[in-house]
Amino acid sequence: MTDLVVDAGGVGKTFGKGEDRIEALRGISLHVSQGEFVSLIGPSGCGKSTLLRLIADLTAPTSGELRINGKPPARARTDRDYGIVFQKSTLLDWRTVSKNIELPLEVMGIDGRPDVAARMLDLVQLADFADHHPWQLSGGMQQRVAIARALAFNPSLLLMDEPFGALDEMTRELMQQEVLRIWDETETTVVFVTHSIPEAVFLSTRVIVMSPRPGRVSDIIEIGLSHPRDEDTRESQLYYAKITEVREALRRYEAAKP
Amino acid sequence: MEDVIAGSQGRWEQLAPRTRRVISVVGVILTLVAMWELYKLVWGALGWIRPIRPDDVVMPHTWDMVIELFRPVRRGGGLLIVNLAGRSLWTLREAILGFFVGGLIGFWLGVWFVRSRLAERALMPYVVASQTVPFLAIAPMVVVWGGGLGIPQWTSVSVIAAYLTFFPVAINTLRGLRSPDPNSLELMRSYAAEPRDVLWKLLVPSAMPYIFTALKVSATASIVGALVGELPAGFQSGLGRALLTFSQQFAVQSKKLYGTVIVCALVGMLFVWAVTRVERRLIPQRAALEEEDATAARAAA
Repeated sequence: MTDLVVDAGGVGKTFGKGEDRIEALRGISLHVSQGEFVSLIGPSGCGKSTLLRLIADLTAPTSGELRINGKPPARARTDRDYGIVFQKSTLLDWRTVSKNIELPLEVMGIDGRPDVAARMLDLVQLADFADHHPWQLSGGMQQRVAIARALAFNPSLLLMDEPFGALDEMTRELMQQEVLRIWDETETTVVFVTHSIPEAVFLSTRVIVMSPRPGRVSDIIEIGLSHPRDEDTRESQLYYAKITEVREALRRYEAAKP
Repeated sequence: MEDVIAGSQGRWEQLAPRTRRVISVVGVILTLVAMWELYKLVWGALGWIRPIRPDDVVMPHTWDMVIELFRPVRRGGGLLIVNLAGRSLWTLREAILGFFVGGLIGFWLGVWFVRSRLAERALMPYVVASQTVPFLAIAPMVVVWGGGLGIPQWTSVSVIAAYLTFFPVAINTLRGLRSPDPNSLELMRSYAAEPRDVLWKLLVPSAMPYIFTALKVSATASIVGALVGELPAGFQSGLGRALLTFSQQFAVQSKKLYGTVIVCALVGMLFVWAVTRVERRLIPQRAALEEEDATAARAAA
């Protein structure tokens, strides 16, 4: 079972105590194998971001068993097993694009930083912008830098928390294409949080549908679209069928609501 | 009417930023001079003496204040402006030493407080209280204590300057260190970064615009601290001393006092200008602009 990158069994998370306690997640079981692209989708409040933060060891589960690359999440974090991208690019304004990509390498004491930064900029196709400052870039370009920064130290797992949520639709589709290309080139495992059904279907090998109060896994949908995926994929029958399937899975919960 | 305003704005904006700045500075000075002289003229003509008597002792002509700077301090002595320039250097030296010491203490307190809630809770009330103590009252004590310790008197004056400097720096450093986006902190956590790296690579650079806002306040405060600190000191050097001497001779020397006040203001402006230059070099433009906007927004709210 060593090829399981994420292995969650009965994971729960409760915030607060007494009257104010909120059960964010209950009985989450999730298994992500190496090389997979898994999306977490669900209405707001379903705990999809919380689940991602548990994987990242940015917060700790209150129950259940969670292992990343066979290790406790805290260990995986200190081993620098994952890179993370947020909705906001969180680039540092006072650093140039390539210095931003070098930040994790500096912190981790990795040598040959300019070379790595140059390679990463090639990967995200921003080589011409190495010496620009973040505020000189568009939102989509900033997110590409954030992705380059997350991958700079070659983590086995890439965590993305609604990374394209703030982008316009056209940029968003371009970025999805980019992410698939990068995923293909780097063979990284990806866990991707989104609230966009087409985005989840287009990107993923598997879509995890979640329902809220408390957050649970309500469906797991295998996507099975062939790779590489491109603009034609977006017009295929299977793509539409999968979008419908995810939408109905999300609706089932709505209908069952008291 | 709107067209006229829009048109004049357009011409104004076509000027180089530097030219615009010079015009606005000169404009403000000319306006203040005009108001002073107009008051003198109107009140003089009507024989009014309230609130301020418009005679040449209490309210000398603005140009006479400037001319006085280019007259001998006393018969056969050097020019007042030369005398005051020497004193300015003396006072600046006190102020700059106090500014650096106070700035470092303030920065260090900010870092300490952001790392330790306990230290902040325990010490912040005293940091705030320190500024409610009238420093006019403690200035003579500091000078006496400094004398007891055997340090040069001018460094005792620096202690007063540091006392006024450290507070805004401490408060703004703390604010600035707390300013980064939570996601940025989580990013550093995801790298398993050492606290030292978080501090120097994320927190301190984020705090720079806040720190420089404080340093600009502190630059003037350290000058004021040095001027006041000189009053109880035993030496005759410094602008503070000159203010004291000329105010005692106000009835006959009022123009000298006004001239000295002008020089004090210029010294303060010079110091703030120097800090601003350093700020421009150290902080990328946008970070500085954002902080300016935020300050303006806070002021408006």
